Order: sequence, then C-alpha cells, then structure tokens
Amino acid sequence: MFLEIKDLSVKIENKNILKKLNLNINKGEVHAIMGPNGCGKSTLANVLAGKEDYEILNGKINFKDNDLFDLNIEERAQEGMFLAFQYPVEIPGVNITPFLHSAINSKRKRMNEEEIDNLSFAKLLKSKASDLGINIDMLKRSVNTGFSGGEKKRYEILQMSILNPDLAILDETDSGLDIDALKIVTDGVNKLKSKDNSFLIITHYQKLLDYIKPDYVHVMVDGSIVKSGGSEIAAEIEKDGFQKFQ
Amino acid sequence: MNIKDNYLKNRKNIFFSLNKDIQNHREKLINIFENDSFDRKNNESLKNINLKNFIDFNYKYLIPEETTVINNNQENNYSIVSVNGQCSSFKDDKIEITKISDEDYNDFSENNTIEKNDHFVNLNSLFLNSGFKIIIKKNNNIKIKISNIVTDDDLTIFQKNNIICEEGSSLNLIEEYENKNNATSNILNVIKLEKNSQLYHYLIQDNSPNFNLIITSHSSCKKNSTYNQKVYNFSEGYVRNFHYSELIETNSETNLQGIFFLKNNNTSNNKTFVKHLAEDCKSNQVYKGILNDRSKATYFSNTQVDQVAQKTEGYQLSKGILLSDNASYFSKPELKIYADDVKCNHGSTIGPIDENAIFYLRSRGMSKIAATKILISSFINEELSSIDNEQMSEIIQKKLVRYLSKVK
Repeated sequence: MFLEIKDLSVKIENKNILKKLNLNINKGEVHAIMGPNGCGKSTLANVLAGKEDYEILNGKINFKDNDLFDLNIEERAQEGMFLAFQYPVEIPGVNITPFLHSAINSKRKRMNEEEIDNLSFAKLLKSKASDLGINIDMLKRSVNTGFSGGEKKRYEILQMSILNPDLAILDETDSGLDIDALKIVTDGVNKLKSKDNSFLIITHYQKLLDYIKPDYVHVMVDGSIVKSGGSEIAAEIEKDGFQKFQ
Repeated sequence: MNIKDNYLKNRKNIFFSLNKDIQNHREKLINIFENDSFDRKNNESLKNINLKNFIDFNYKYLIPEETTVINNNQENNYSIVSVNGQCSSFKDDKIEITKISDEDYNDFSENNTIEKNDHFVNLNSLFLNSGFKIIIKKNNNIKIKISNIVTDDDLTIFQKNNIICEEGSSLNLIEEYENKNNATSNILNVIKLEKNSQLYHYLIQDNSPNFNLIITSHSSCKKNSTYNQKVYNFSEGYVRNFHYSELIETNSETNLQGIFFLKNNNTSNNKTFVKHLAEDCKSNQVYKGILNDRSKATYFSNTQVDQVAQKTEGYQLSKGILLSDNASYFSKPELKIYADDVKCNHGSTIGPIDENAIFYLRSRGMSKIAATKILISSFINEELSSIDNEQMSEIIQKKLVRYLSKVK
C-alpha cells in the first residue's frame, strides 16, 4: 500500500478533530475527499504533512513502507509528499527561485541523486512556469508576497510540478480561483498525473473534479470517512449537499 | 572611587584639563554626577544598564606607541587606523585631519542642549583622552574607512570626533570596531553637514564579550544636506548606539538604520532623538533586532517636530525577532508633533519567528534550521540588499553567516 491511514484520531486544543479515520491510497490513484466546513479535511492534510500543532491520539499512517510518524516535516517532503496549501504563507524576502532550487536539491540529496545545477534548474523552472501561464517576472519575487489568491494557487502547483511528488495533497486548491485559473491549475495537475504518483484532493465542490477525474471519492463528516465510492458521489453531493451524510 | 576623585587623580592624562573654561564645565558635570539621584524612570540613558559598572571604573589610558596610519590608497579613498582613539594629522587639498582641540570641545559642550541628561556623554566630556577632527573640503567626494583599534586590556577610551562636511561635499565613511580586549570605548561623534553636503556613515561593530562600546553621535544638517547612518552590531560585548539628530535648515534629511544580532547574555541599547527644526525636512528610521538566548535590546526613539517644521515627513519603524523565550526587546517609538502639516508614522512589531512560515518551508523539504536561517536572512533582506557599497556588503554577509552558524 502506498498510503495507509488506519484508525487515525487527532485532537487540537482539547478538541477531537479526526475520529478513527481510515483511508488507503494505491500508487497511481486519484482520491478526492469532500466534506462540509469544519469536518477535519484540512486537519488531515496538515497531519499528513507533519504540522506539529496536533496531538495524535491513536492510529497509524504508513507511507511508502515508512511509519509516517517517524518522519519529520522535511523528511516527509523529501520522501515525496507534497501539500498544496489552502492558504499559502507569504514570506517576504525569500526569493522564489533559490528557495525552489534548494527545495528540489534537498529531495535529490535524500534520494542519493545528483543535485541539479543553477542552469538546469533555471531551464526547468522557466519551462514549468510557462506551462502554468506564470510570468517569468513573478519568479523574481518573494514567496507568495503580494500575489493574488489565484497567483498563490498557481504558484503552489508550480512548486508541485517542480518537486514532482509521489503523493500530492491539494487542500482546497480550487478556492479563490476563477474558471480560467482553475483550468490552468487542473491542467498542471493532469500533466503531472502518472502511474507512479498519487493525488489526494480536498474540495467542497464537484467543479474541480470535472477537471481532475478522481478514481475514488470519499465523504468526510465529523472527522471520519462515512462513504466512499466513485465520481457519482461527487454528483450526489453537488445535487443534495452534505446533509444526508451527517 | 567616586567620579570626582577619579577625575582629580587622572586629570593630567585628560585632554584640556588646564583650560579654565573647560575646567569650569567639568566641575558642573561632576556636580551633576554627585547630585543626580539617577532617575532611571525618566532618563533613557540609564535604562537597562548597570550604570555603576561605568561610573565606578579604573581610569587607564595609554598613548599609543604605534603611529596611526592614513593611506590615500586610491584617488579620493582614504583608510585610517585609529589607535586608542588617536589619529595623526593629515592634510591635502580634499581633507584635513587634526587632533581634537579645546575649541572643538567648547563648540560642542556650550551649544549642546539635547544630550545634557545623557550621563555617558557627560562622562565622555569629563574624561576625554582622545579624538580627532575630520574636515571634508568643499565640493569633494571622499571615501574614508576607519579601523578603530584598542591596544591593551583595561583601557578606558573617551574619544570625541568632529566630522565636518563642507558645502557640496560628500563623504562615505565606514567605521569598524573589532576589538578583542577587555576595555571600554566611550565615543562621541559630532557631525556637521553644511549646505548641499551628504554623509553615508556605516558602523560595523563586532567586539568580543569583554569590550564595552558606547557610541553617541550628534548630527546637525543644514539646507539640502543628508545624514545617513547604518549600524550593524554583531558584538558579543555591550553596545550602546545613541544618535541625536537636528534638522536645522530646510530640505535636510536624516536616515537612520540599525540592525543588531544578539546572543548569549548580551545587551544592545539603541536610542534616537530627531529634532525637526525647519520646513520640508525628512527623517526615516528603521531598527531591526535578532535576539537569541538571554540577550536584551532596547530601542527608544523620539521624533520631535517643531512648530515651524511644516511639511515634515517622519517615520519610525522597529522590528524584532526573538529566537528564544528568554530574549527580550523593549521598543518605544514616540512622535511629538507641534506643526499641523506633517506626515509622520511609527510602528513596532516584536515576536518569535513565524511558525507557519517555518512549516511552509519545511513542507518543501528544507530542514528546520535551514528554514529558520532563511527566515532570519529574509527579515533583514531589504536592509542588506540596500547596501550600495560592495566591500561593506561582503563584510556584513560574512558576519551574518557567522551569526547564523550559531543559531540552533
């Protein structure tokens, strides 16, 4: 199993968020999690990425034959996990290009691969940015600083395509995107999709799933997955809302 | 030993002690020390410092055996090694350097009003044992680098320098303080900018833990003149940087910037007092501190806009990153405005490093320590990238790398 989440219970500040959650993802699969506000979707994404604010009460997560809890945040990223943030953090003064260059090389180092040199990286970055309709001038700016909501999301996808993760978690990447930006972002995801990587897409709406076809859709309510199935579930939610699952 | 006895015992080694007027002035200063109850609540020169260490001291001064060197290595570029606060005389058609004179002493002491409550300035006047005057002659564009060397342990340097930029001149002045001795330097720089002149004043401070550095500077700017000060404090010993600025004629400007990198038990006290005394003048202040371990810093800033100083622009900003729960930074930017057509603002933010930013960077594969270092560098990126002197920029980058190597 590529990612196996078993009986995961998590709390933050005395509030139980995830309650005995189970989820299995195989290599090459696209999974979507849909659920109402506050059901724990972003908590799951953050726990997978290793955010330290949460207390793990119970459960296990295996990722590529590693106990995920044995890996710290950066080790998870270096092992091939990528979280596209719902609210990407602005970091003034940290230039995008050297930051991404350093990020890709930290992963390569862990994989015992040769580091990518400045010139090759610049070419790679330019080509990926062009695919996503990102202006080259934007790459001279600081990370997420002064970006519009849509630019931030596009920049998250640019990072994802550069880092080429094994498991990409997209936390409400569609929020704040107009229809054209949504198309560009989802094209970026579709280009990256292969039999060797997997996606976990967190969303409220079916719209995103019109562009990225999931293999499985899960409904999450009150910290647990209450229903799993195919794309038909997304259509069901779009029609009737989450009420019937609660 | 009390101040009076200390002075009387050593006065033969103190500048101008035979000058009657100066004697009278010093008697007044002794009275201030003897009668002052050291009002720590209202006197900012006394806050967050153990004054006893500086008042009750063993005076020791050595006239340097090494002669100071003034090199005019490239056209308009001078380098000076000042030893124990002394500098030998030099004169060409562009600059003139002389030993500080009793006239210079009187010129400052009699006309000075704003530092009168500053006990360290008073100590400097009382025990003055070194100093020099630099004049940049009219319409010249000059670069000077001064390395300040203290030769022996236990020395107490009381140094007064006068820097005068004549009309239309421009001076790029780099001062380095890198001392390893167990000593104290109390330095007063009195800076005068004549009409249409400019001074870019960089101070690099990187002393060992037992070296105390007290720098007070006073600038006065005439019409269309600009004083720019940038202080980079990497010292492991105590540093006090106080700057008093007077914008006395129209269209004059002062830009003050300080960045301090503290660790262990170190303290850095910073104070600025900018007086807008004429129309259409600008002042801009940015002070940033990175504090680790149990270090402590203060930033007291006072910008005062006189009634006649219409169209003033005055800005104050201080920011601090606390890398440890035991580090502390006290910041108090103040504006006193008596004119009604001004643009002024002030702000201050102090806190730990942004955990969300750390998480973001780590989630891309960067280690926690690398993420912390990159965020520290980004915090001062704007100030460091604005250094327009390549040599300075390289020096500061090296020192920053050294500081960051100790951040865990």
